[in-house]
Amino acid sequence: MRFVLGMAVRETRASWQRLIFFFVCIAVGVAAIVALRSVIRSVRDVLGGEARSLIAADALISTTRDWTPTARSTIDRRLADAGSTARTETIETPTMVRPSDSSKVAARMVELKAIQPGFPLYGSLTLEGGQPYSHALLEHHGALVRPELLSALGVNVGDSIAIGTTNFVIRGVVANEPGRNLGALSLGPRVFVDFDDMPSTQLLIFGSRARRVVLARVPDNTLDDMVSALNQDFSDDYINARSYRATDDAIGRDFDRAENYLSLVGLVIVILGGIAVSSVTRVFVLQKIRAIAVLKCLGASSRQIIAVYVLQVVSLGLAGSLLGVGIARLALAGIPLALGPTSTSLLAQVHYTVDWRIALQGITIGVLVSLLFSLVPLLEVRRVKPSLLLRDETRRPGRDVARIAAMVFVSAALIAVAAWQAASLRAGLVVCVGFAALAFVLLLAGRLLVRMITPMANAPSFPLRHAVLHLSRPGNQTRVILLAVGLGAFFIVGVRSLQSSLLDEFNLQVSADSADMFLLDIQRNQVDEMRQFLADATNGAGSSRLIPVLRARITGVSGRVTTLDSFEDVRARGSLAREYTVTYRDHLEANEKVVDGRFWNGPSSEPEVSVEKGLHERFAINIGDVVRFDILGRTINARVTSIRDVDFKDARAGGFVFVFRPGALEQAPQTYIAPLKGPDDANARAVFQHKLVAKFPNVSVIDFHEILATVRDVMSKVTLAITVVGGLVLFSGALILIGAVAMTKFQRVYEAAVFKTLGANTRTIAKMLLFEYGVLGLLAGAVGSAGAVALTWGVSRYALDIPWKVFPAEHLAGVGLTTALVAAIGVLSSLDVLRNKPLATLRAE
Amino acid sequence: MISLREVSKTVISGAEPLTILHPLSLDIDRGQFIAIVGPSGSGKSTLLGLIAGLDAPSSGAVAIDGVDITRLGEDALAKLRGEKIGFVFQFFHLIPSLTAFENVAVPMEIAGARDARQRAQRLLDEVGLTGRAHHYPSQLSGGEQQRVALARALANNPPILLADEPTGNLDSANGRHIMELFRDIHRSRGTTIVLVTHDADLASLADARLSLRDGRVVERT
Repeated sequence: MRFVLGMAVRETRASWQRLIFFFVCIAVGVAAIVALRSVIRSVRDVLGGEARSLIAADALISTTRDWTPTARSTIDRRLADAGSTARTETIETPTMVRPSDSSKVAARMVELKAIQPGFPLYGSLTLEGGQPYSHALLEHHGALVRPELLSALGVNVGDSIAIGTTNFVIRGVVANEPGRNLGALSLGPRVFVDFDDMPSTQLLIFGSRARRVVLARVPDNTLDDMVSALNQDFSDDYINARSYRATDDAIGRDFDRAENYLSLVGLVIVILGGIAVSSVTRVFVLQKIRAIAVLKCLGASSRQIIAVYVLQVVSLGLAGSLLGVGIARLALAGIPLALGPTSTSLLAQVHYTVDWRIALQGITIGVLVSLLFSLVPLLEVRRVKPSLLLRDETRRPGRDVARIAAMVFVSAALIAVAAWQAASLRAGLVVCVGFAALAFVLLLAGRLLVRMITPMANAPSFPLRHAVLHLSRPGNQTRVILLAVGLGAFFIVGVRSLQSSLLDEFNLQVSADSADMFLLDIQRNQVDEMRQFLADATNGAGSSRLIPVLRARITGVSGRVTTLDSFEDVRARGSLAREYTVTYRDHLEANEKVVDGRFWNGPSSEPEVSVEKGLHERFAINIGDVVRFDILGRTINARVTSIRDVDFKDARAGGFVFVFRPGALEQAPQTYIAPLKGPDDANARAVFQHKLVAKFPNVSVIDFHEILATVRDVMSKVTLAITVVGGLVLFSGALILIGAVAMTKFQRVYEAAVFKTLGANTRTIAKMLLFEYGVLGLLAGAVGSAGAVALTWGVSRYALDIPWKVFPAEHLAGVGLTTALVAAIGVLSSLDVLRNKPLATLRAE
Repeated sequence: MISLREVSKTVISGAEPLTILHPLSLDIDRGQFIAIVGPSGSGKSTLLGLIAGLDAPSSGAVAIDGVDITRLGEDALAKLRGEKIGFVFQFFHLIPSLTAFENVAVPMEIAGARDARQRAQRLLDEVGLTGRAHHYPSQLSGGEQQRVALARALANNPPILLADEPTGNLDSANGRHIMELFRDIHRSRGTTIVLVTHDADLASLADARLSLRDGRVVERT
């Protein structure tokens, strides 16, 4: 043991500079895992412990309809039985808001929330500037608004805004509200008004999308039973009850998924580090063959010698992992600095720490991966014969059963580690198999490319000839570099291409003749007036039409394949039970085509319905089936007579899952929507919206340009996050490259010495290095870019369902940058190869 | 002490078998100093390797103290070498990442000796390298490196010392110094020495001489 320990210390002392990239690679991977998991855990700790604050109550009972007396008495009874100690109500609805001052031509979609004095039951509503919140601020038509609304409308505290048909005075600016920061996408800034002032806005009319909520404080021991009982009571109604625990569980599940996914990403980076470890260990053992033979000559067994290097690997893996934890801590400390002191986002409220359990997990993975990836190369120690010292014999490869067994064991262990990180064996298998498949394809492609350029070994240029020969010489690092750098290029180019595809796809939707505005909640008695308004050229609207819409729910299906007798059966089918917006017409829209059955011609008193293809496929609702709809309490049994393929991306006429034949729904209460082409000019659009809302205060306007800007912003953040991860992968690849160059430097130094004695000057040798690494970078970039093309095809076709596009400029840029990066690193890392005097080198040999 | 019976060695060179050593038998008594001489390619180093168990014979048996080493596994051979055999190579074969002191201490550490440090220092004193103990091989001259190698070979006080052209890579002055050390070792410790050499002066120190040519024994004196 003393010998093993002593030798491990001495070997590390002698070769730590050569092995530095070993543990830096491990450090980067461990830092990624620990940092990503810690961020998620830290955010989760804030949210998970504050689920009550997130929903501002213990229990929420909500509906999109008016409360019926029966519903109210049921709720009252259940709350009383559960021992509820407090309750309050709110109404939330998206709506348009404009300045009361008509000289200010602006209008904005907001998320209006009417609250009672008890709100919130948990958490707190805070105002900017240290102003204390009190419900009195809202009484008698007061409003509290988010700061972005002030700038959007050009108003200040004290000014008046029109909500529906009523003016409200802005009495404060909202800094924070419980649960608001969770959503990534909202229709507009928050506006609070008094619950009692809501009727005066005349927004709670037929067809309104207002959501009415009862919030209650309920003891923990009766909460779950009460929520279950309420959901049972209202199983056939449009009423839902949930507790803060459901939020907690949902958040918990989401965070579990995020944590596991991100730590898998970190694991991929660690595995890349492991590939570096394997490469470094292999070359290291090659360099130590004589020393190993000497030790065997002196009496050391293979087991003792392997133990020396295993101890060295474990120590370096541990050192690298500890460094990784340190890097993670630094990264976490930098998050608040990056967000800035004035940020009000949720992320700014989190206290970022590295939990010791996560640190331990990261360290364990770092050491495990180091050990696993060095195991197979270390087994070569067994095959070193001490007679090598007497006779320079080439070791016959032969079949090594122990090596094969070790490779199988390492593969199984990696899958186990991945499964552990993903908390799912399936996910672990998918990641490992996917990574292996990707690596295999990259290596195969690399090998093919190397073969293709082999004829260049006959090139007239000496440096180019030898550069190509070096790619396939014994002990070359071509495979490792192609894999590591190629993977990084693959991720980054792939992600950027996908981003371009998605942005391009979105751009298409707002083309010249596409509708770019949607009007909602147009009442029946406003139709004629609205038509006149929209037809008036001075208002600036382009082509438009009004489409009748009703809200419906499926309560049964009698079909060839699917039979659902009750709403409970429908509910068991998940999303089939949701509320649908339906319409009726006698023609197909431009974004639809019939794929089965026949579209009707003219009205009919017998209800018929046309079903969208996706729903037909998902729930096996076929031609001839009868679907039972509940439309505002009235039951309609409609026969399915056609299936339509709807291009939802073409927004000209919206996209309806169910379209009814005229004749069944005309007399039913309904509202109207209007897709239209708004004015091109931004000011003209603002004027148009202002005029429209002034004339029709209950109508909401969704402006696609604003939505797209928000979506683009979210997408660019997501892309940035993915690009950062891809960047980490590429950074790991660069480290592996530097390590690979460093490890083979001894070979290059010797070769350079021989070339110099044979007449080659420094410039010639520098050219050889440049060509060699340039070709390697070119191959890695080409392979990575080609892989990225395949990635964008697969994701476009199977995940995003968008047309596949290639952006040659991005792929070429990827190849070019990779080539330059690898060439630069390769040459810079080999500078002392150029500087060394040949004699000293040859003597040392 | 060392007994070879019809030992031969054949290797595959290209596609053809090449006999490096034709069957020979040899007995070396305890305390004997025997020099093996012959031109390059005569099989001297191969014979030495077979005696040390560094290589396996194609036929025949090698016994050390009655133990047939050709039947031993690699780990048992390593143990045998650690306990009974010291080896000095022509090209020194010191471990470059260890100091002179550490190189000498390694065999004792492998054997689990508790007084490795003291003994290593004493051995370096014996070979006249007291002040160079903490230098790396790259910082030592050829002669100094070979003296370290000799000290290392004596680390576990082996009854057998095998040397393959120990002065082959040294100048004459250093070579003479090494010769004197071998002589002193033989006289003071009674170590059985098997020495392969071109050096006639070194060979003259031996009690017996074995001449090889083309893998065969041509003379025994």
